[in-house]
Amino acid sequence: MKAYLQLTVSQLKLFARNRQMLVFTLFFPVFFMLMFGFLFNNDGPMSLDASIIDQDRTEASQELASRFGQTGVLNIKTSDTEAAALDALKHNDLGLVVVIPEGYGDSLSKFAQVSEPSSGGTNGGSAAVNAGTPAQIRMIYDSSNLTTAGMAKAAVNAVTDGVSKELVHFTPAVTVAEESVQSQQLSYIDFLVPGIVAMMIMSNNLNGVAGQIASWRERGVLRRMQSTMLRPSSFIAAQITARLALNGVQAVIVLLIGQFIFGTQVRGSWGTLLFFVIIGTLAFMSIGFIVASLARTPESANPIAAFLSFPMMFLGGVFFPIKNMPEFVQKIVNLLPIAHLSTAMREVMNTGAGFASLWTQTLVLGGWMIVAFAIASYTFKWE
Amino acid sequence: MLLLDRKHALIIAIPQYRLNQDNGIVAGMERSTFIQNAINRKSEVLRVHADDRVIEVDGLFKKYGNFTAVNGVSFGVSRGEVFGLLGPNGAGKTTTMEMIEGLRKPDGGSAKVAGHDTRTSLRKVKEVIGVQLQSTSLFELLTVEEILRMYASFYPRSVPIEPLLDDMILQDKRKGQVKHLSGGQKQRLAIAIALINDPIVLFLDEPTTGLDPQARRTLWDIVLRLKERGKTIVLSTHYMDEAHILCDRICLMDQGSIIALDTPDELIRSLQSENAIEFRLPDQVDGYQTASSAIQSDSHIPPAAGADGSEAPGMLMGLLQHIPGVQQVELRKDTYVLYTSDLQATLTNFVQLMSERNITFTDLRTRTATLEDVFIHMTGRGLREE
Ligand SMILES: Nc1ncnc2c1ncn2[C@@H]1O[C@H](COP(=O)(O)OP(=O)(O)O)[C@@H](O)[C@H]1O
Ligand SMILES: [Mg+2]
Repeated sequence: MKAYLQLTVSQLKLFARNRQMLVFTLFFPVFFMLMFGFLFNNDGPMSLDASIIDQDRTEASQELASRFGQTGVLNIKTSDTEAAALDALKHNDLGLVVVIPEGYGDSLSKFAQVSEPSSGGTNGGSAAVNAGTPAQIRMIYDSSNLTTAGMAKAAVNAVTDGVSKELVHFTPAVTVAEESVQSQQLSYIDFLVPGIVAMMIMSNNLNGVAGQIASWRERGVLRRMQSTMLRPSSFIAAQITARLALNGVQAVIVLLIGQFIFGTQVRGSWGTLLFFVIIGTLAFMSIGFIVASLARTPESANPIAAFLSFPMMFLGGVFFPIKNMPEFVQKIVNLLPIAHLSTAMREVMNTGAGFASLWTQTLVLGGWMIVAFAIASYTFKWE
Repeated sequence: MLLLDRKHALIIAIPQYRLNQDNGIVAGMERSTFIQNAINRKSEVLRVHADDRVIEVDGLFKKYGNFTAVNGVSFGVSRGEVFGLLGPNGAGKTTTMEMIEGLRKPDGGSAKVAGHDTRTSLRKVKEVIGVQLQSTSLFELLTVEEILRMYASFYPRSVPIEPLLDDMILQDKRKGQVKHLSGGQKQRLAIAIALINDPIVLFLDEPTTGLDPQARRTLWDIVLRLKERGKTIVLSTHYMDEAHILCDRICLMDQGSIIALDTPDELIRSLQSENAIEFRLPDQVDGYQTASSAIQSDSHIPPAAGADGSEAPGMLMGLLQHIPGVQQVELRKDTYVLYTSDLQATLTNFVQLMSERNITFTDLRTRTATLEDVFIHMTGRGLREE
């Protein structure tokens, strides 16, 4: 116990005095966060490029077109003809094309006249409404891209719904009090910050432990301790404690910077977040110990650790969503601890998820932790 | 001519660091009193009883692959004794020590420390020993005091840090980080750490290798003080002067085996020639590097003397061999060494011989035989590779 406390304190002092390490482990993630945050976060919430082809050219059609421009979701681009717009859609330059055909204004006014008399205090003119033919517009979108397809449908429905309701002087039986939908809308920085925390936990522990233990072994630091009565378990427990403290503090610093500069939030409980910080730290530390044991020389420990962590950094859902990757890559990535750590952090922070919805992540990370720890203790050597 | 050469020899002799206590030629050599005291104490070395043994080593054997590093080493170390392992690099000193410390597993034989067998009760052994490893490396960013407290926490009992800092002359470095310490201070810190658990036996593996002369003296002083307090110390070195000053008994090792084990004085006495006369020939060509065993190789004697009056080495060595009192003649590099039990007779006859033969010599000096001479005599090689 004495030895465990002393070693923990000593290790924390070593962390605090190793400027270079502090720069690499804290400055680096913060730098990444600021760089990616400012580069990709400027256009705010996600938007969809759309083109409105007005073939009717009436007052009503122009009114409709302008409404599309006011959704805040659609980014309107001009296209000369329908054919040109569809071409752009095929090349992914557009996400949505809306065509207002000739005769739209006419149908609309006829429809309005038919429905007008019946629309009194009550909503009883259903027969009369059905008598007219509704005006029609066409929307064309890429159904293979689920995200943009969903956005396109939602935007178009919202606009046409609004026009229809105004036209028939519709009074809803149930009203929805609209609260700022914008604030719930997640932007890239909300995606990025939890990923950065996950990345930091990975590289701190995998690369940090592998490099440090291998170098201590090479320089005979561990050997000197082996010749005392110190038990390996005390040494390893102290390493774990000190690294947990370091990672906890660093995670909080990164989260606070995210909050002050980009306004990101932790919507879930801090306890749940901390749980994933701990389990992630333990899993990656154990992998670091394994790398340190398997490396023949201390010089090779760092490259091996980098070889493992670098692909995980870019494929593991730290900077880019895993969903955007090819199917077979996703299958592999979904086995990696980093994918589950970043997903769990993201869910807790962005949607306020608790353990109930994160049991997959908990199980996979826990599995990695137990297996890696078993291998680490089996392969650990003092010299 | 002799006088002139003597003067010359004196100048040459001073920078060399040698232990020639009863020799007029090196009278000018400074020597601190503690070393003198240490040497005086040697005369009262007590022959110890077998039941007082704190270390018992029996047939230790270690192989690295096909290479035998330690080949059946056996010895005992008594309480309060400073026991030296002396031998050139690669002799197996470190391997032997680390097998006793339990850091390396022997392939054969056994080692017991304070009655505890390293194979069966390693934790007990670790509790009663303190080690300074040949290449000790510590956390560079911790301070002297922090490191000592940390190592103290590894043991159930430890000594207070203050007196330890005083003893190791580290008091003013206590707040300094390890990376800012000099080589000598690092080595003293390593010894302080080794003493933190008040061990029964202290192991020092080449404690002065790589240190400057001043730092070496300081360290010797420390070792001698520990010895005065009755600490049992096992020390390895490849410096014969260090072994001579510090050790009660010396175990001469070469190529994994013990070649001699006795007190320094007895080892030198075993040479049967207490003195050595050294000289060089002025224009000696390095060509004939007949090693220490040159006397036996009579076949190398060339048929005639050189044209310029200087005789070929083989011939000269044959002549030197027959000077009264000379027990052995050796040629090391370009220096001739005559071992003799009767310095005066040999010296007189030597000068006479050289004058008769009209051979000019330089750098004449006489000295007492050293452990180095013992080692060379037994192995045919020096302690340090040139
Ligand atoms: N771990 C090792 N693996 C292989 N050979 C070794 C190892 N340690 C020492 N040796 C060899 O064993 C011999 C004795 O080494 P060592 O005990 O360190 O000698 P000394 O301490 O006397 O210089 C040397 O030839 C050395 O090269
Ligand atoms: Mg050695």
